[in-house]
Amino acid sequence: MGENWFQREFLNGRRLAFNVIFYGLHFFFFGYGWHSQATNTKLAALNALTFSVWTSRGAGLVLAFDGGLILIPMLRNIIRVVRPRIQWLFPADENIWFHRQVAYSMAFWAMVHTTAHYVNFFNVERTQVRKQIALQIHYTQAGGISGHFMLLIMVLMYATAHNKIRQQCFEAFWYTHHLAFFFMIGLYAHATGCFVRNSVDPDYIYAFPFYSTEHCLGYESWRFIIWPGIAYFAERVYREFRARRATRLSKVLVHPSGAMELRIVKPSFKYVAGQWLFIQVPEISSFQWHPFTITSAPEDPYVSIHIRQVGDFTRALGDRLGAGPSVVAAMTQAAMKGTEKDEKSGMNRGDFVEIDSHNVTLPSIRIDGPYGAPTEDVFRSEVAVLIGAGIGVTPFASILKHIWYRQKRGNLGSLRRVEFFWVCRDAPSFGWFQSLLQEVEAAQADPNFLRINIYLTQKINEDMLWNIAVNDAGAEYDPLTLLRTRTMFGRPDWMTIYGQMRQAIETGQYIPGSKSQLKTKVGTFFCGPSVLAKAIRDATVHHTSANVEFNFAKEHF
Amino acid sequence: MGNLVWHDLGHFIATTASVYAVWSSFFGLYFRKFFWDFVGGTLRDPGGIQPAPGAAVFITLIVKAPIIQIVAMILGIIILAIEVPVPQVKQLAIYRSFVVRIVLLIFQSFFTILIYQGTNASLWSMIALGCYTRAQLLGEVMEEAKENRGSGEKA
Repeated sequence: MGENWFQREFLNGRRLAFNVIFYGLHFFFFGYGWHSQATNTKLAALNALTFSVWTSRGAGLVLAFDGGLILIPMLRNIIRVVRPRIQWLFPADENIWFHRQVAYSMAFWAMVHTTAHYVNFFNVERTQVRKQIALQIHYTQAGGISGHFMLLIMVLMYATAHNKIRQQCFEAFWYTHHLAFFFMIGLYAHATGCFVRNSVDPDYIYAFPFYSTEHCLGYESWRFIIWPGIAYFAERVYREFRARRATRLSKVLVHPSGAMELRIVKPSFKYVAGQWLFIQVPEISSFQWHPFTITSAPEDPYVSIHIRQVGDFTRALGDRLGAGPSVVAAMTQAAMKGTEKDEKSGMNRGDFVEIDSHNVTLPSIRIDGPYGAPTEDVFRSEVAVLIGAGIGVTPFASILKHIWYRQKRGNLGSLRRVEFFWVCRDAPSFGWFQSLLQEVEAAQADPNFLRINIYLTQKINEDMLWNIAVNDAGAEYDPLTLLRTRTMFGRPDWMTIYGQMRQAIETGQYIPGSKSQLKTKVGTFFCGPSVLAKAIRDATVHHTSANVEFNFAKEHF
Repeated sequence: MGNLVWHDLGHFIATTASVYAVWSSFFGLYFRKFFWDFVGGTLRDPGGIQPAPGAAVFITLIVKAPIIQIVAMILGIIILAIEVPVPQVKQLAIYRSFVVRIVLLIFQSFFTILIYQGTNASLWSMIALGCYTRAQLLGEVMEEAKENRGSGEKA
């Protein structure tokens, strides 16, 4: 890492503000919980336990706060709706990051709270301030039972949510994380045992919440933190309902490069370019939802996704659709070699084979979404720099198509120029995307509007080298991609690219007619690995000047 | 579906359990209590539970002198040294052995269940133990780390 921990956490304005507010609130709640226990004369008997009980009450209040926060970043639909309004305040796309911060904090305070309670119950037994032994409180009362259960659930959830496990076996993560349901029940029920009381025995009553607040003097925090839980539950029910609305898989196309294109018709599904959806195929698994980027533009009469058969789910899906791995493997092999237009068969690399739906009955599918992505904001800046790396190029299919549709309608917003970068190791394996690029490129009336830059980072073999050497010179189309744009080899140097762009904008060459005193907004939209993201973000930050503002947005997938 | 590598999962759970074991046995040094003292014990007010005479050996080892706490703590530190791992341990062959971990986790599970603070550590050790046992039965192996692989930090 180029920067150390201190620089990252404290020398960055936004991160510093987050740290101060987030951890400040935690310490505030801890202090408040501690103080209100220590000074409560009604709880004098408990206060005989001194530090341990103050600590446990303080940490308990902090945990309640965390329990209220943990579900908020998971309210995907609500975030999608409020996102445009709150984008200036905090990065709404970093919701998973926030979820993780709350989880880390929760693990720490759970440690504090549990440790304190172990001391509490030890001393309750020793001094007999209540006539019971420690293990009775631990294993026969609501607070103890739910607490131990929540700890166990946390271990399982945290362990399976680790990056490593999630990538090996998404299902293990997905199913285990649904233990959250029981965790939240445990959280809301944690205080129902009436441990914090000023009476000898718990004061249970027959009406909800089944204990009397006259003698049970907890913080009643569940009254506040249950709302995100209810909202999340409602959202899941709504997602289920929405997913069940009429959906039809209308067509399956197999591209020679090995990607399957699923065209889905769902009239109730409204989305904008660059968003993604969850897909479920009940015949393969009736519980799993898999995220895919939408590759069609909102103007298209269908919703399409492109799937490469790389994982269990996608291979099973390929088999089911009659486009099994063997069929596709052969096609991929051919495409990987960078086959030319074959004159005899008349097959273009961009062509596709439609799966004959008379032989195979198409399975029923369900889709859920759409969910947001920063690429919705393309039309708000004058210059859009779209950077896709590897498979991360998929959201730009939708965006480029959408730009193309809007170009035809003459409705481009403030967008004046588009720079499209595609960094990938083996371009030929994304044949379907090339055919799309070909269409978009061919449709350009203004040669300056869209510029396509393709960077091939793979080591090229001898065949390909000859191919390039022989075919490239003087040819109208690039031999590899069949685009008019030349393919470049090696990794792009972002600092230089952005530096040149800034210079061109400042001297007024880049956008004809732009006034130099106006600030030009250049939005960068990136989808790909985070190491590359950091390099590009550094370049945008470095080159932002009084006249040119470079923004950076990263899509998570 | 999916290809869960059990020893990777076991690694995370064993690490958590061992941290818990070290932390709980540290508190066990100050708040000494035999977990099973309620068996045949009598409750006295004040003074708490008076263990049965049959448990005298555990009272000696846990309450009078915190021997078991210290043993549990050392075991936890050893497991952490293997799991985290300490660079010196990483070069040894035992670092890649599941059997060593299984044996250590059995002992950790046994010692922590004896002390009042250690029940969760014991339970989680048993879960980690299950993961490693399954890894061993499925014939998973831990690959020897390759040298000079680079950190992959640069774009």
